[in-house]
Formats: sequence, C-alpha cells, structure tokens
Amino acid sequence: MTITQAAHAAPAIDHHPLAGHAMTGAEAIVQVLADEGAGVLFGYSGGAILPVYDAVFRYNADHALPDGREPMPLIVPANEQGAGFMAAGYARASGKVGVAIVTSGPGATNMVTPIRDSMADSIPLVAICGQVPTTALGSDAFQEAPVSNIMGACAKHVFLVTDPAQLEATLRTAFEIARSGRPGPVVVDVPKNVQNATLHFDGASRLAIPGYRARLRAVESARLDDEACAAFFAALMQAQRPLIYAGGGVVAAEAAAALRAFADAFGLPVATTLMGLGAFDSTAPLALHMLGMHGTAYANYAVEDCDFVFALGARFDDRVAGVPDKFAPRAKFIAQIDIDPAEIGKVKAVDWQHVGPLGPALERLTAWGRARGLQPRLADWHAHVAQLKRRHAMDWDRANPLIQPQAVIAAINRHAQGRAIVSTGVGQHQMWAAQYFDFRAPRQWLTSGSMGTMGFGLPAAIGAQFARPDALVLDIDGDGSIRMNLGELETVTTYGLPIKVVLLNNRCDGMVRQWQKLFFKGRFAATDKTLHTKDFIRAAEADGFAWAKRLERNEELEATIADFLAFEGPAFLEVMIDPDAGVYPMVGPGSSYTQMITGEFIASRDATPVETTEIPPTSMF
Amino acid sequence: MKHTLSLLLQNESGALVRVAGLFAARHVNIDALTVAATHDPAVSQLTLVLHGDEGTLEQILRQLRKLVDVLDVSSLSLVGGHDGSRLAATPA
Repeated sequence: MTITQAAHAAPAIDHHPLAGHAMTGAEAIVQVLADEGAGVLFGYSGGAILPVYDAVFRYNADHALPDGREPMPLIVPANEQGAGFMAAGYARASGKVGVAIVTSGPGATNMVTPIRDSMADSIPLVAICGQVPTTALGSDAFQEAPVSNIMGACAKHVFLVTDPAQLEATLRTAFEIARSGRPGPVVVDVPKNVQNATLHFDGASRLAIPGYRARLRAVESARLDDEACAAFFAALMQAQRPLIYAGGGVVAAEAAAALRAFADAFGLPVATTLMGLGAFDSTAPLALHMLGMHGTAYANYAVEDCDFVFALGARFDDRVAGVPDKFAPRAKFIAQIDIDPAEIGKVKAVDWQHVGPLGPALERLTAWGRARGLQPRLADWHAHVAQLKRRHAMDWDRANPLIQPQAVIAAINRHAQGRAIVSTGVGQHQMWAAQYFDFRAPRQWLTSGSMGTMGFGLPAAIGAQFARPDALVLDIDGDGSIRMNLGELETVTTYGLPIKVVLLNNRCDGMVRQWQKLFFKGRFAATDKTLHTKDFIRAAEADGFAWAKRLERNEELEATIADFLAFEGPAFLEVMIDPDAGVYPMVGPGSSYTQMITGEFIASRDATPVETTEIPPTSMF
Repeated sequence: MKHTLSLLLQNESGALVRVAGLFAARHVNIDALTVAATHDPAVSQLTLVLHGDEGTLEQILRQLRKLVDVLDVSSLSLVGGHDGSRLAATPA
C-alpha cells in the first residue's frame, strides 16, 4: 500500500509548527505523543526501543518547563507489566489515553496482561513496542516476538509499522482508535530501523481506516428520536418498580452528571456494577451501591423485585447475570443503551435499545420526559427500596476479637469520605473495598473488573497519583495480589509518591479459599500462605517507606489508620485480618439472586438458602 | 445451520490473522475460507463459511464489525428463485 492511499492529511485546524521538518521516526513518535497530550509516559527501556527513549530524553531536555520539570516524564517500573498498569491507572483516573513504551520481545510480552486487562475494561491505552529491524523480522532474532499476532488477539487494534512514512499517521490514528467509540488499548509495534529512519513530519496525517470511521460516525451521530423517547416513556410510566443498572460505560462516557439528572428527575433507584462504582454518588438516596455476585443484598433484592430495568453502559456479564434467564425475573421491560452495538441483547434480550453516546441520550430522555410533565408514581417503590436498604444493610462480625477487613475499610472510609482514589488487587479485599467504600464521583475506583488481574493495585495507584497529584490515592491490596507486582513498592518511593498502601493480610488467597470452603469441602489446595515468611513491613522499609507499620490489634485500629492517613509521604499499612472473614453477600456461580447467601451478619429474606455444595464444580467459574 | 459471510478487508499487516483469531477466540469454527484480491490492491475480499445458530451468526457479525481493518461484512444466504437457488446478500 502506498502512502497516498494510507495516509491523508486531515483538515488541519492549525498548521503544525514542525510540518515539513525532517526528523527521525523516534522523534516523530515523541512529537505525536506531545501533540496528543500525553502528560506522563510509563515504560522500561531495552535495545529495540532505545531510539525512542533517547528522543524522549532530548525532548524533555529541550522543552523543560519554567520550574525545571520535564513536560513528559518517563516513569520506569520494575517490570513492564507495571508500566502497563500504571498507564491504565493514569487513564482510569484521568479519562485520558495512557501511554506505555516498552522494548521488543519480553518487554512486549510483559505488556500483554495490561493490554488484555484494558481491553476487557474498555480503558484507552496506547502501547508502543520496539521491534527488531524489518530486515530481521521473522528470523527468530534476539528479543523478537510476534507482537502483532499476540496483541491482535488482546487489543482493540495493533499496528506493525514497516514503512517510516506511515509512522506518524499510524501513531496519531492509534490515539484516535484508543479513545473513540468503546475505548480500548491500541498497540503500535515499531521496528528499530523505522525509529531510526528519517522522515518528513507533516503534523496532521492519519490513516484512512474507512470502515472503522464510517461505523463510528454512525454510532456517534445516533440520537434518540421522538418515537424512541415515546416508546421508552410509555413503558416507564407503566412500570411500578423501575431500576437503573449502570456500568462502566457511564464512567467511560463521562455521563455521570446526565445519569444523576435522569435518576433524580424520574426517581429511579440506581445499582451500579463493579466497574460502574462512582458513576452514581453512592451516598445519594437513590443509590443502591453495587449489584451482582458480591453486590449489596438490598441492590440484589431490588433487582429481584424490579419490573423495569434500564441498563446503561453495562453488559449483563456473568458476575451480574450469572444465570441470564433468572436475572431480574420480574422485569417486564428491559431498556439498554450502549456505545457498542455488539453488547445490545448479547446476553439478555431487550425490549428497547439505543446504540449511541450515553450522555446525549440520557439528556434527551430527561428533557423529553420533563417537557411532557411525565413523573412515574414511585412512592411505594421508594418505600420498598428504603426498607430493603434498612433491613438488609451491609454488616460484619463486629464482636470478633480478630480484626475484620470490613471494619478497616469502613474506618478508612470515614476519613476519605468518598473522595479518595482507590485501587485494588483482585480477590476478597477488592470486594470488601467495593462494598464498604463510598464513591462520590467517577474515576475514583480503579479495579481490574473483567480480567480480574492480581497485582493491578500497586502500579494502578502509581499511575493514578501521576494523573491526580493532589488526590489521596489508596491501594487496597491483598497479600496474594501485592506479591505479584511487589517490585513496584520501590517505584512508589523512587518517585516520592504519597500513596497509601493498605495490605489486608489473611495469609492466604482468600477468595479462592472461600470457594474451596464452599465448593471443595475445605481442601485448601495451594492457597494457604501461613508458611510463607515474607515480612512485608521490612520489605516496605527496604524499599524506602518511612512509614510502614503492622496493625494486629482491634483496639489500635482507629488511631493507627488516622496516623497512617495523616502521613505526608508514601505509607504502608499491613493489617493482619481474620483469615476466616468471608465476602458476603455472595450469589454463587450458577445461582440466582434469590439464592444469594448473605452470611451470618446480613439479614436474608430467604428462609431456605440453597445447598451451595450441590452445584457441580464443572459448571462454575 | 450453515452461514456464508462476505468480508471486505483492508490489506493491512495481520488483518487476516485478526479475522481468523476472532473466530477462534469466540469459539466459532471456520468451515471454509477463501481470500481474493479486489480491483483495489488495498482491499481483499474474504468469503467465510461457518455453522451456528442465529445468535452465533449475529454476534460474530457484530464482533467482525468491531475490527478496525474490516470495511464491510454481510451475511449471504441461499435464496430460492424460479430459476434455481442463488446467493443474495441479506441485511444482518
């Protein structure tokens, strides 16, 4: 393919000051990164990416800010996976495209997990991978890996740039693809000789990608017409128990304000998914917090009772609708809005649908209903929901002498007041954090929702602190999860980030252990860590944490947490928690919400809980 | 039920792998596949045969339309006419 077919000058709003200048491919990469607003880069060096690293170094030296700071600092992790999750944390906390730059071979393959994780959670990333020179491609060269093959299966898109003349257009297009439509990660694989080649910078070119752009235009220009609004309200006005089911798409679409306005206008209670936490202020009267496998009992009972579901940027995944036929079984009408046509009706058939930008759609519905004075009469439903929230409130074993993890989160939450940025690993601690933190706004909750990647929390917190330097950033982690990227503890102190790391240590892989207890007759295969000798406090101290303490006594909990959060710099708090604490409520795999296990401390309304051990192990995941 | 899909694909590095990989990742088997050049050297035409129910077909079509290199996808089905059966594109 020739350049004229692939790259065409986009209508330039401003003539780029460097247009027409000769520069190397590496310099062009750095210039496009600067033009696209990449504020912080995350990456680990290596042979095949050296020209780009050198160009970043020179760019920062030549464009130093008045106070001496670098305009585009390059943050170096312990492992490329850390760089990927830092970029993802940066993207999740800011809404901007995160950028990671790694070398070929192992650098690129270490990036596979964050790329897949970002794909699964629809997080915009651009990952630039060095590659062996085009002349060595396919020769089993040193540090060669088939990145476009590997990443093609994991990313929203992958480009292998073999022609220097297409490099600039390709990288600019990568940003466009990453942030448009349903966001996602884009990988750009750049052979070393392409980085070193001389090219003429044009400052505006993009690749044609006609199929993608045409479909995107169709989706982004889609607006609700009168007929669609009328059909929606005809159903809503008949509903007696309507409910909003809000997912991560609300966060991605920056539609939280539009959701709040809609919910307030018509009085619909809102349950959010794990990814949707923060999309609706969890302290609002209409908030039901999280639904699903470990959702609040009152949210799940409300889903059971509702007769109208309005799904917004949510995809009925197996942690929410484990048994799709039994999800919201009394719903007479399901409406769904999503930016991705493939999610409409994928799991559960819907009665009304709209594919398009969420914010404008909700604003249109709000205006349409208001203009006609439509007001569903929901006093009974509101009273019912309030009663569910009261009767089935979240609670834990408050009398236990061992430290309960829920109490730790609740205590931290009293300080954070729903304003902290919280990242997590994956497992029990992740669910306790989801359940017991308040989230007043979007982009405060950073968690590996779909992929469930242990080790996400620490690097994501680092990325988030770079995105929001003044915010309180907490990493709520588990002993299993934090081990996975423990090298990044040192990265926290290297960059002097005031991150607060909370390690809830139960000396086991707690969530797996919980399943083994419930479904495998207590055979704790490979999950027990009581023989592990790691002293996390000494590890944190060795990595430069000036505040690193272990909390072992309930009566010291409040004072220790206050001291921990008040510390100016990086701080590490290990809490030895009750190893038998479980995550409840729990909707077991293959179960419906009526079969939810609420545990000993949350009231269940079902007198006959099902025998969970009857579920065949082969049917669950 | 068998379905025949026709795809127009941008001739980019790895584009065919991404189409084939999508089927593999979504656990849908490709029964037959032909790739042909078009009058535009930047575009290839793929004809794919798969079997599955309507839901499988619908989902694979929607997922194919998310691939950046895919210009167009249509499902072809056998349509009976007076002069015998012929292939015709159906909107899907």
